[in-house]
Amino acid sequence: MKRFAKAVIPHIILTVFSLAILMPLIWLLRVSLTDRLTAYKIPPEVGTLGLMNYYEIFERYAFVSWFLNSLLIALLATAISLPLATAMAYAFARFNTGGSLLRLGVLASQMLPPIIIVLPLFGVFLFAGMLQSHAALVVAHITIALPFLTWLLVSFFEGDVTRLEEAARVDGATRWQAFRLIAVPVAAPGILAAGLLGFILSWNEFLFALVLSGPSSQTLPVGLASLETHAGVEIAPLAAATVVSLLPVFALLPFLRKHLIKGLSLGALK
Amino acid sequence: MLRRLLFGVALAAGLSAPASAETVTILMEGVPDTEYVKTLVPEFTKETGIEVNLEVVNYAEMHTKLVPQLVAGKGSYSALVVDFYWVGEFTKAGWLLPLDERIATDKFDTSVYVPKMMDLVGKVDGVTYMLPFYNYAMGLLYRKDLLADAKNQADFKAKYGMDLGVPKTWDEYLKQVVFFTKDGMHGVVNQGLRPDPIAMEWSNYLFANGGEYHDANWKATLNTEAGVKAVEQYATNIAKYGPLGAASFSFDEAFNVMAQGKAYSYITYNFFRAGIDDPSKSSVVGNVEIMAVPGPTPEQGGSLNGAWGWAIPKSSPNPDAAWTFLKWVESHEIAKKRALQGGSPTRTDVFDDPEVNAKYPYSQALKQMLLTSHNFPVFTYTPQLVEVLGRELSLAVAGEKSPADALATVETEMTELATKDGKIK
Repeated sequence: MKRFAKAVIPHIILTVFSLAILMPLIWLLRVSLTDRLTAYKIPPEVGTLGLMNYYEIFERYAFVSWFLNSLLIALLATAISLPLATAMAYAFARFNTGGSLLRLGVLASQMLPPIIIVLPLFGVFLFAGMLQSHAALVVAHITIALPFLTWLLVSFFEGDVTRLEEAARVDGATRWQAFRLIAVPVAAPGILAAGLLGFILSWNEFLFALVLSGPSSQTLPVGLASLETHAGVEIAPLAAATVVSLLPVFALLPFLRKHLIKGLSLGALK
Repeated sequence: MLRRLLFGVALAAGLSAPASAETVTILMEGVPDTEYVKTLVPEFTKETGIEVNLEVVNYAEMHTKLVPQLVAGKGSYSALVVDFYWVGEFTKAGWLLPLDERIATDKFDTSVYVPKMMDLVGKVDGVTYMLPFYNYAMGLLYRKDLLADAKNQADFKAKYGMDLGVPKTWDEYLKQVVFFTKDGMHGVVNQGLRPDPIAMEWSNYLFANGGEYHDANWKATLNTEAGVKAVEQYATNIAKYGPLGAASFSFDEAFNVMAQGKAYSYITYNFFRAGIDDPSKSSVVGNVEIMAVPGPTPEQGGSLNGAWGWAIPKSSPNPDAAWTFLKWVESHEIAKKRALQGGSPTRTDVFDDPEVNAKYPYSQALKQMLLTSHNFPVFTYTPQLVEVLGRELSLAVAGEKSPADALATVETEMTELATKDGKIK
C-alpha cells in the first residue's frame, strides 16, 4: 500500500502541474480552430473545427511582416549581443575588469522599470533619425539582452576552466588562443543557451517594440496586441496568430533542452 | 558626430525608416472603421500621389506610444486619431494643430457634423482641433423577437397593465428587464468591470434618470436623486437580473452573453449592432435591434456619446499633406463609402443618405441616438475621472459602500480634478 501510494501520489501531483502548464496551450489551440461564438461558450463546446483563422491572419493582417520583423530583429540582436556578452563575461571572470562596481553597473539598467529606459532611447533615435527603423529595435533589444547574457555567462568562465587555460598557457598558447581554443569550446553549451535566451527575450519583447517601431517595423507582440481592439478582442485570429508565433520557439526546443540542461549542469560536471 | 555615427549605423543596416515628404503616416486603433479607411486609401494615392501609411496599435497601449511622439519637436506621425478621453489632455498640452485656418481657406463645411460630435471631438474652447472620425455612442440592444412574442405580450399586459413594445421611457425598460428574467434568461447583461466598462455603461443609467455629471459651472451634480437611483438600479440589475459574474464583465464577455441569446438586453457601443448580425459571432442573428437608451420621458434620450477625431499633431513632419488626407477622408463621398461598408458616421448628411439608409435600416436609430446623447465630461483629467468613478461604482455594486457615499466621494474627487484643471475658479 505504502509502495503503491509512493508510486501514485507523485504522479498525481505531476499530472496536476503538467495540466496547469499544458491547459492554456491546449485551450489556445482549440480557440484557434473555432469561431468566436464557440470560443466563448460555457460549458465549452467543440463546434466545427477549421483553419479559417489561420487563413484570416495571413489575409487580413500583416502577419507575415510582423513575423519576419520579429525574426530579423531577434536574430540580429542575438548575433550582435552574444559575442559581446561572451567577451565581457570572460573579462569579468578572468580579469575582474572594473571590479564588482562595473558588474553591478552592467545590470543596473535592468533594475529600472523599462519605461524609464525607453524614453531616453526614443530621444536618441529621434535625434539620429532612426526612429521606427529596424536598426533602432535591434539596438534597443541589445540593451536588454547584453546585461542578462553577460551575467549568465560569467559563471561559465569561472571555476575549472581557469586551470585548463593555465595548462594551455604553460604549453605555449597565447591569451587569445587560450580564450578561443579552450575557454569558448568549454563554455559552448552555456553560450548557446545564452543565445537562445537572448533570442526569446527579443522575440517576446513588447514595450520597446511598441514605442520605437513604425508601420513597417512592427513586431509580433505589437501586432498581436492590435487584435485586442476598442471594439473587443478578435479572440479566434489572435489565438491562431499566437500558435504560429510559438512555432519558432518550439522549433528551438530540442536544442534548448539538450544544451540548456547541459549548460546549466556544466559547473557540477567538472 | 554622434548623429552622423548613429545614422551611419542605421544606413549600414540598410533598414532606416523611409521619411519621404509624400507619405502620410497615421497612428490608428484597430476598429472596423480603420479597416474601411484602409480599403479606400488607394483612391487617395491615385488622386493626389501621396502615399498613406496606417499604423495600427492596441488601444490600451496607444497613449504610451503617442506621448513621446507628441512631446518631440518633430515626430513620426503626420496625423493621428484621438479618443475623446485624451482631448482635454492633448489640447491643453498644446500638442494639436488648430485647424480653423485650413478649414476657412478650403471652405471645409463642419456644420454637417452632428453638433454633439463637434463638442466632443471637434472644438475645444472655440478652436477646432479635430474632425470627428467615427462615433461609438452607446445604445440599447434588445431582442425584438421576444417583444413580438404573443405569450410574452399577454403575460406582460396581465402583470403591468401596459403593452409590451419597444420601451419609450427608462421606467418602462426597467419593467421589461424584470419581466424577461425567467426560464434561464436574463433581463439584462451589464459590463461591470472597473474602471472604463462600468463607468461608461453607468453613465447611461445616470442620463436615463435625468441626471448629468455637472452643471454649467462644473459643479458636480452626481450625489442627487437621479444619481443615487442610477446606482441602485445598476446594482440591482447586476445582482438580480443579470448573469453571474456580470460585475466583472468587460464588453467582450457581456456581448457574448447577448450573442448567445441568454439576455434580453444590453446597453453597449453602437458598433456591436453590426456584430450581433454576424453568424460567426452570434446565434441571435436578425433578432436584435438597437435604439437610443430611453430617457425619463419619451422625448429625452439617455445615451452616452463617444467618438474619435482626426487631428494633426504639432510634431507632424508634413501637416499640409496630412490636411489633404483629412479633407479627403472626411469628404461626403468618402464618409459615405465608409458608412456603406458598415462604418459609424459622424456627419448628418451621411446618416440621411438614401443609399446608407437602404443598406442599414437602423441608421436613423443611430442618428437619433447621437442627437439625444449626452457627453462625458471632457477635460484634462477625463481618464482620472473614469478611474475614480469606476472604483466607487464597483464598491457600490459590491455593497461595500452606499450609493450616496460612493457618489459623494466621486463628487469630491471630481471637484478637485476640475479645480486643478482650472474649470472651477
